[in-house]
Amino acid sequence: MTQLRPTDPRFTGHLVRPRLRIVAGVCAGFARHSGLPVTFVRTVTFVLALCGGAGVLLYGWLWATTPDESADGAAGSDARRDPLPKAALTGSHATLPDTRTQLRDPSPGATSGPTVATADAAADAGGGEPHRAPVTEILLGLALVGTAGALIANRLGAELPLDAIIPAIVALAGTGLAWRQFAELRSGAGPRSSGMLVRALGALVLVALGILLFFVTSEQPNVWTVVVAAMSVLVGVAVVVAPWAVRLTRDLSDERAAREREAGRAEMAAHLHDSVLQTLALIQQKAGPHSDAARLARAQERDLREWLFTGAANGPVDLAAELRGIATTVEREFAVHVDVVSVGTVDREVPEALLAAAREAILNAARHAGGSVSVYVESSPTAIEVSVTDRGPGFSIGDIPADRMGVRESILARMQRAGGTASVRPGPGGTGTEIRLSLPLDVQEDTP
Amino acid sequence: MTDPTTATATVCDLTVVIVDDHSIFRSGLRSELDPALRVLGEAATVDEAIAVVVATQPRVVLLDVHLPGGTGGGGAEVIRAAAPLAPSTLFLALSVSDAADDVVTVIRAGARGYITKSASGAEVSDAARRVAGGDAVFSPRLAGFVLDAFGAVAGETAATTDELDRLSAREQEVMRLIARGYAYKEVASALFISPKTVETHVSAVLRKLQLSSRHELTAWATARKLL
Repeated sequence: MTQLRPTDPRFTGHLVRPRLRIVAGVCAGFARHSGLPVTFVRTVTFVLALCGGAGVLLYGWLWATTPDESADGAAGSDARRDPLPKAALTGSHATLPDTRTQLRDPSPGATSGPTVATADAAADAGGGEPHRAPVTEILLGLALVGTAGALIANRLGAELPLDAIIPAIVALAGTGLAWRQFAELRSGAGPRSSGMLVRALGALVLVALGILLFFVTSEQPNVWTVVVAAMSVLVGVAVVVAPWAVRLTRDLSDERAAREREAGRAEMAAHLHDSVLQTLALIQQKAGPHSDAARLARAQERDLREWLFTGAANGPVDLAAELRGIATTVEREFAVHVDVVSVGTVDREVPEALLAAAREAILNAARHAGGSVSVYVESSPTAIEVSVTDRGPGFSIGDIPADRMGVRESILARMQRAGGTASVRPGPGGTGTEIRLSLPLDVQEDTP
Repeated sequence: MTDPTTATATVCDLTVVIVDDHSIFRSGLRSELDPALRVLGEAATVDEAIAVVVATQPRVVLLDVHLPGGTGGGGAEVIRAAAPLAPSTLFLALSVSDAADDVVTVIRAGARGYITKSASGAEVSDAARRVAGGDAVFSPRLAGFVLDAFGAVAGETAATTDELDRLSAREQEVMRLIARGYAYKEVASALFISPKTVETHVSAVLRKLQLSSRHELTAWATARKLL
């Protein structure tokens, strides 16, 4: 166990496993926590591991119960996504020896001893920096090669305890498979379907079968072998399942913490809703719809509302939210009242051109009409339609001089380039202006 | 917090009661309202509101959606408790929130319309008058919500007029124009129909909103929080 990485002299209050790790970071975490040299901790663990597997058991237990460093704090989603599957992967060989210890105990002298050493050595050689070595695959490959080698050796006449080797390999393969499922489940990469459950169960059955074979094929069964076999199967399955259960429990508590944060937020939202929003509404009402005070109150209300109610949502860019943002900015600069009504949801990125054209239309209405401006967004699966209506003097596109770029270039031409259409028509009841932007979504399928 | 009115009564006055838990809002609204509207009383909680409405029998109640007291049901609770005891009273919901679930709850309890609190005194007075005249009052936001909740955007259209879970093509057109900020008269001229027909369509939509069992009307609204 060489010192492959510098130990962090920083002492932490909690025992956590650092992101830099060789196997699962237990030794390094413990060394950091206790202040002992990490090489010493590793040596002791290794020596303990040779003492009937005690070190391995301790290691596995600490691994399962100690949180990841990154997951310990208020981890961001990216930090959470990355290290955990890695922990699961690297952790797979931390507990594999456990299973083998179970296997080894009933019949000392079986061939699993050297395998433990090689697995550890391989893991250490590959350690040093965070890695995603395909450890499970390597183990499964080794198991297959081992089987083949043993069979050939047996055919050649070597006296090998096949009745011990084959069950051990079956159990090993089962454990490897179970851990592989676990890793996939944690990373969220694999399909979260019942298929995964079936495969995980299959792996467990394999483990049980291996252990059972061990007893059935080794000697004449009697009461004691049956009892010991049953116990071994139970322990074997528990060893495979336990870390899984521990992880799921931890996930659950993480989720509960998130829910509590959300509840606190909702409570604050309710309070602000009752006090501040009411006051802002009153200011708007008292100050008259087009006064400065009303505009300020309205902008403030919109900001607050945005923060209160849409902060938790983190889907794709919401067209309605973008337009509300534009409305707020426009209301700050002009004496207008912009009302945004949105219908339907957009489940994809909104093209910049549509937003820019809509912004221009709202600005145009604010500049030339003032008063109330209605913005209506309808997002259907096939098209997005934005209409901006004002009650101003109105204008016809034919009356605009050709050199005026505003409407012609930044609304009509822009929409055309984006594959959509724009039209200017008289507003409701023949007064004012209505600008309608329409963008078919099929055309925009590949736009980032 | 009943407040005996001092306004002189004339026969054709429209009588209203203002229900809101913020006294400053009540007095603000009261001073802004059209003089032709006679305020019979005010209330700040669910229990007060029920008592005042039953005692004064106003034509229209301007009802805040969020109210303390009672069993926590807010404005909807007031409607459910007071409506049977005040048969000629109509309810117009006022809300600061625009939250879809609030709106749906109070409309389904029997409110005849919904407007936001930031509306001016003249707008509130006009809405109250229209409700008193038997019309339904839809704000652009409520119209947008109705379009969303009834799946109009996804292309769902009712085949028969008595279908409760979907809007007819004409109702969708009317709702779209209202959501665009058109007044009823403007909707009428845009669709080449009479204002009375627009009213009929809006009332039909209100009825569907109240009677439909479409699950979006409750579940969807709660999940999305905002219109």
